[in-house]
Amino acid sequence: MMTNKIRKNLILVGEVTEFFNSFLKCLFSRPFYLNRLYEQIIELGLGSLSITIVIGLVTGMVMTLQFGYGLEKFGGTLYVPAIVSLSLIRELAPIFTSLLIAGRIGSGISAEIGAMNVTQQIDALRALGTSPIRVLVVPRILASLITLPLLAIFSGIVGIFGGMIIAYTEFNIPTGFYINKVLSNITYVDIFGSMFKCCFFALFITLLACYKGFHTREGTRGVGNSAIWVVVRTSMIILVSDFFLSKLLILVFS
Amino acid sequence: MKDIILELKNVRKSFEAKQIHNGVSFHLRQGETVGLLGYSGTGKSVLLRSIIGLEDIDSGEILYHNNRIDQLSEEALFKVRTKISYAFQSGALFDSMNVFENVAYPLFEHTDLSEEEVEIKVDAILNLVAMKESKRLMPSDLSGGMQKRVGLARSMALSPEILLYDEPTAGLDPVNVDLILEIMKKFKSAGFSGIFVTHDIPAALKVCDRLLILKDGVIHFNGTPQEFEESQDDFIKTFSNSDN
Ligand SMILES: Nc1ncnc2c1ncn2[C@@H]1O[C@H](COP(=O)(O)OP(=O)(O)OP(=O)(O)O)[C@@H](O)[C@H]1O
Ligand SMILES: [Mg+2]
Repeated sequence: MMTNKIRKNLILVGEVTEFFNSFLKCLFSRPFYLNRLYEQIIELGLGSLSITIVIGLVTGMVMTLQFGYGLEKFGGTLYVPAIVSLSLIRELAPIFTSLLIAGRIGSGISAEIGAMNVTQQIDALRALGTSPIRVLVVPRILASLITLPLLAIFSGIVGIFGGMIIAYTEFNIPTGFYINKVLSNITYVDIFGSMFKCCFFALFITLLACYKGFHTREGTRGVGNSAIWVVVRTSMIILVSDFFLSKLLILVFS
Repeated sequence: MKDIILELKNVRKSFEAKQIHNGVSFHLRQGETVGLLGYSGTGKSVLLRSIIGLEDIDSGEILYHNNRIDQLSEEALFKVRTKISYAFQSGALFDSMNVFENVAYPLFEHTDLSEEEVEIKVDAILNLVAMKESKRLMPSDLSGGMQKRVGLARSMALSPEILLYDEPTAGLDPVNVDLILEIMKKFKSAGFSGIFVTHDIPAALKVCDRLLILKDGVIHFNGTPQEFEESQDDFIKTFSNSDN
């Protein structure tokens, strides 16, 4: 039972790696589908923008509220801008945005490609002498690699802004002081480290979603199951790998 | 006699424990249309898919112009697939593209034609399958028969040398069946070859030069329509009288 499960997961890792290899092969050879990449960036980026803003704003506001009242007892309210902005940029914004994208894009991609698979559209792409990896996978992975880091940073900035409002209204922290503290605490390392993590998450989300779409069987029910599988797996991977990636970044940059 | 352009030698194919083809051999000559018949589930679709490399065969050889194509890489097969075209049993239209875009897809991918030239060419093909009026419709707005005709048009777009028709007439009304058969005849009289998978024996007799019957993983019968009708083989007799 246990060994069977391990075996299944090993096979999965092997297949995903192979899938990744064929992605790389297509990535570095012609033809490129720039219009498809553009389409995906619009769909992924603009499509996720509004929820990213909401998530960022609310997180920043709630964090400021909690830290504000928590630290007030010890007279530490002045540390709120630094704590809120650092935790937002380093962890909360990338993690929440990635989880959101995993839910929205991961399930969407696996369902879309899965449906194409069970209706033989993937076979049709091949039968017409084109590579489904090139046409479907490359634009999606590249689009997520480009948009997810930007969305996360944007979400962080919105969150800091939300924090600023609460800091001013609830704790009378002057806006100028707040901004000053934020700017003096956040470094390029924080921002690029966060974007680096997002690239990892983006790759995992889209790679697994595309892989699962290509391996969807059993008609319509399979399509739904694939979407669920992708969201659960990628969310787990994001949370677990975040710990190790954060550790790695701290090791390298301190 | 015309040249042999496609030849299968002893092709075997299985899915896990299930043996589908157990040594299939036949050939196709230039300009010839061959009917491939057999009961449901005998592996007719799998055989067509194997020919263009959508399925890997276990052993045997598939030759196109005397060159083996069964061991080619996926990239190398892309070229072959512009010459041997497969019209899917289900149509398999891209549901994110409209009728025009579906048929134009192979042209944009494999030719240097300008947008105007593609438009003219697509219009001509759609006219052939009587679908020109519907060219801005999405596949989901089409009936099954219309989807099939568009699928057929798409597989003809690159003027392939061999067309593999997977049940192009199944589920269509008599008028549409005749329409498809007319298209096949036109394609044939232009000198192209085809393999016509069907359950419709009268239709096969109308357009085919030769009939193949797939049974128990091998070609059980290979002969002209006349030989088929006059055959004394018990299986052929039951088969041709059944509404399989
Ligand atoms: N990917 C696959 N995995 C496992 N078995 C398969 C696969 N594809 C086809 N088969 C099996 O191969 C057999 C032949 O299938 P195929 O679709 O070629 O039949 P067919 O002769 O085209 O039938 P029909 O006339 O109904 O279209 C079937 O029993 C089918 O279950
Ligand atoms: Mg079939």
